[in-house]
Amino acid sequence: MTMLSTSWTAAARLACAVAMFGVMPHAMAKVDGVTGSAFTLVAKAGYISTADGGSIYNWGYALQGGGVAPFQYPGPTLIVDQGTMVEVTLINELPANVSLLFPGQIDVKTTAFANGSQPAGCIGGAEGERWADGRITREARPRGCLKYSFIASNPGTYTYHSGTQMPVQLEMGLFGALIVRPSGAPNQAYEHPATRFDREHLLMLSEIDPVWHEAVRQQAEAVVLPAANGSFDWSVNTSGFAARNPLYWFINGRTGPDTMNGALAPELPAQPYNALPRMHPGERLLMRTINAGRDLHPFHTHGNNTWTVAVDGRVLGSAPMAGPDLARSDNTLRMVPGQTVDAIYEWTGKGLNWDAYGIADGHACNGVTIAEATANPNDPRLQLNGGHDPATFEFCPDHGKPLPTVLPSTLEMTFGDVYSGSPFLGSTGGVPVGAGRLGSGGAYFHMWHSHNEREIINNGIFPGGMMTFVVIEPVNVPID
Amino acid sequence: MKRLNALTSIAAAVGLALTGTASAGIFPQCPDGATPIPPKFNTRGSIDTTALPADAKVCGHLAAGDGWALRADGGRHYTFGFSNVTGVPNEDVVSKGLFNAKWSAPTLAFREGQQVYLALSNVGLLLRPDLFDPHSIHFHGFPQAAPVYDGVPDASAVVNAGSTFTYFYKVNDPGTYIYHCHVESSEHMQMGMLGTLYVKPKQDTVPAGTVLGSFVHTANTRYAYNDGDGSTRYDVDFPVQLGGFDGPFHDLHEAVQPLPFHEMRSTHTFINGRGYPDTVVAGALPAVQVDEADPGSVLAESSQVVSGLIQATAGQRILLRMSNTSVAEYFTVTVLGLPMRLVGQGAAIARARNEAGVVGLDWAHDVGSLTLGGGESVDVVIDTTGVQQGTYFLYTTNLNYLSNGSEDRGGIMTHIVIN
Repeated sequence: MTMLSTSWTAAARLACAVAMFGVMPHAMAKVDGVTGSAFTLVAKAGYISTADGGSIYNWGYALQGGGVAPFQYPGPTLIVDQGTMVEVTLINELPANVSLLFPGQIDVKTTAFANGSQPAGCIGGAEGERWADGRITREARPRGCLKYSFIASNPGTYTYHSGTQMPVQLEMGLFGALIVRPSGAPNQAYEHPATRFDREHLLMLSEIDPVWHEAVRQQAEAVVLPAANGSFDWSVNTSGFAARNPLYWFINGRTGPDTMNGALAPELPAQPYNALPRMHPGERLLMRTINAGRDLHPFHTHGNNTWTVAVDGRVLGSAPMAGPDLARSDNTLRMVPGQTVDAIYEWTGKGLNWDAYGIADGHACNGVTIAEATANPNDPRLQLNGGHDPATFEFCPDHGKPLPTVLPSTLEMTFGDVYSGSPFLGSTGGVPVGAGRLGSGGAYFHMWHSHNEREIINNGIFPGGMMTFVVIEPVNVPID
Repeated sequence: MKRLNALTSIAAAVGLALTGTASAGIFPQCPDGATPIPPKFNTRGSIDTTALPADAKVCGHLAAGDGWALRADGGRHYTFGFSNVTGVPNEDVVSKGLFNAKWSAPTLAFREGQQVYLALSNVGLLLRPDLFDPHSIHFHGFPQAAPVYDGVPDASAVVNAGSTFTYFYKVNDPGTYIYHCHVESSEHMQMGMLGTLYVKPKQDTVPAGTVLGSFVHTANTRYAYNDGDGSTRYDVDFPVQLGGFDGPFHDLHEAVQPLPFHEMRSTHTFINGRGYPDTVVAGALPAVQVDEADPGSVLAESSQVVSGLIQATAGQRILLRMSNTSVAEYFTVTVLGLPMRLVGQGAAIARARNEAGVVGLDWAHDVGSLTLGGGESVDVVIDTTGVQQGTYFLYTTNLNYLSNGSEDRGGIMTHIVIN
């Protein structure tokens, strides 16, 4: 398809809209995070922002680098290669013991630091016992430190999180994502090529009861640590807590519409990860979806069904190298607490029975012009390549077909903020003054959100919460 | 109702300011050559075009407004919802659709391949004239959707009161879907703007004797999907639309009070818009309240016309087209004494796709219970071959939802009667 200059203009408009919305170049459909094999995480307290203007006291894992460890929610996404010996040093700046679990990893070892060899910020101290008192791993004491190590044997999407007083510490934010890339295949989720992707995005779901967080803050800030580091076993006393009642719901640590702001947005210093995947028609977008909360969330993808190819870092296959031959198609992912789901999302507009690019600009599909397709809808070229133009992925059997209905006048409709005013991909249309200002690039926006619609609110105010969009850009709008 | 989002306030204000102009109008669109829907397939409870050809163009028309629905424990819920005004003359649509919301919404059934023109007329809210909400139809799960016909208010334009938006879908993909209004969705869906939608496969229409793998098609056999092997076949199908209302939320709405979104919980749970034992009433429930001064008004119409009763003859295969339309809860349901097999999920057959290096396998399997969150759907076949005649129970194992408000033995429960 030859796009006319209108679409290049659309790209420029998008850049303009992007600037307005604070979207930065990081906001692409890739997983933001830190790569390598050795990481130092500092467990500490900080504050996050909610889109209704709220501020919530949180705990989190901060990545130490260059002498600083900026607080963040969720913790840094650790991206490692399969087969790597991964070493994670945990330094605990919280008044309670903290630890790390790596669900899905095999043979995780813990190593305490000898006196004198502790990293900066650690004055020693780790609990030496597992099992006792419900400890399911060794824990770092306050001001203490501990090293966790394992070989990342299996590729996939995983979580890491605290294993200490988990009902409180996960609520408080002590979790993050771990991505293991298959050896020699960075554009696949797993060893099998049917798990390949063109783009990828993390979607880490969680929820927060701010009343709990305030109660924890009051307790934690009252703790006085002893001068010398010894066994100091304090934990949050939940006996006076009311039943948990989340009021905020998050994707990658942000409530909607902050989910759509740029990654590393300066106005969200503690919430670096966004959730606004962008893609072109015909591409495979890998959704690395994680439920880090404790409620189930039905995560609905507008625009198309997805194919779930793996759950919990294991391919849905009948045999080790059969590939995802038990993959599931669905439009609503059943996100269970603690679970990870790798799903492939694609979109071409196949079968709409009208030309998604409009018929006014004279674009071609498989070399067939609008006029040729109108004159001969049975032109055999329209069926080539499975019916898709190899460059634009337009579905050619629909090429040249007009929109089947007349839209009501602009006076009879209410326009959305991310609607371009045109039904056609890459085009824009008239919108009332003030409307559609974030859709001026002509992209298709498809909402992704919790279909427990009570979760797309921020403390009683609609809309917000666990809600964002995937942005489908015409092929000639550059992404990345 | 809450218009607290700064991003939408300007657009909303513009839309509002102009809604009252003379341009607005009821204008359902239906193309030349469309196939009329026979009256018996165009009822207050459903629009069913599955008997029409697969290449037909078909036209439906829904009105969006408010209404009342009966509570199984007495009293009523104030609701928003859809009603079927297909074929109603344009000048009568507002009067016919006003305060006529159905709970659940009329069931829509189409044949794979048809071109569906589905008009939505916003007739306004009789008991909330202070509101001026637009409405939409979101065809939930429609694959390869375009935003213009997807009904998401942020990503498209949605129709104001007094006007009509005609949606278009070429229904290429068989399956069990839902449809709902997506405008201010936490509120409008809580209020009841949800219904079941089926697309039935072309495999239903193959000639008798057609060999489908190891299965030979007979004249009355139907299929959930184009399975090629008869594995999704059934004889009778029923919607099992799970749902829930927060009773106090609805009461506050009718009383024009602020709405506590963050306290949303299901106090009343439903199958097809009814709590047990209303679920087992075969036909429509009585009207909520008949206006004595005007007994012919729409108030005299039932608001709950989709039954929850499941009936079959021993030996038949029953397809349960199950969905969850709750905006607050997951539900798990079970059937005592009858075998269930999951054959589809998310409006797709339980089968992986073939790709380079992958031969997709069938993952249909027998189940004892099913768990669905909001927006999820499943296709479940019950084979009654060899089972005793009698009445069986389908109910939620979330026992706190086996109630109508504080009344025990209610909510998500119904009968499966094997004759």
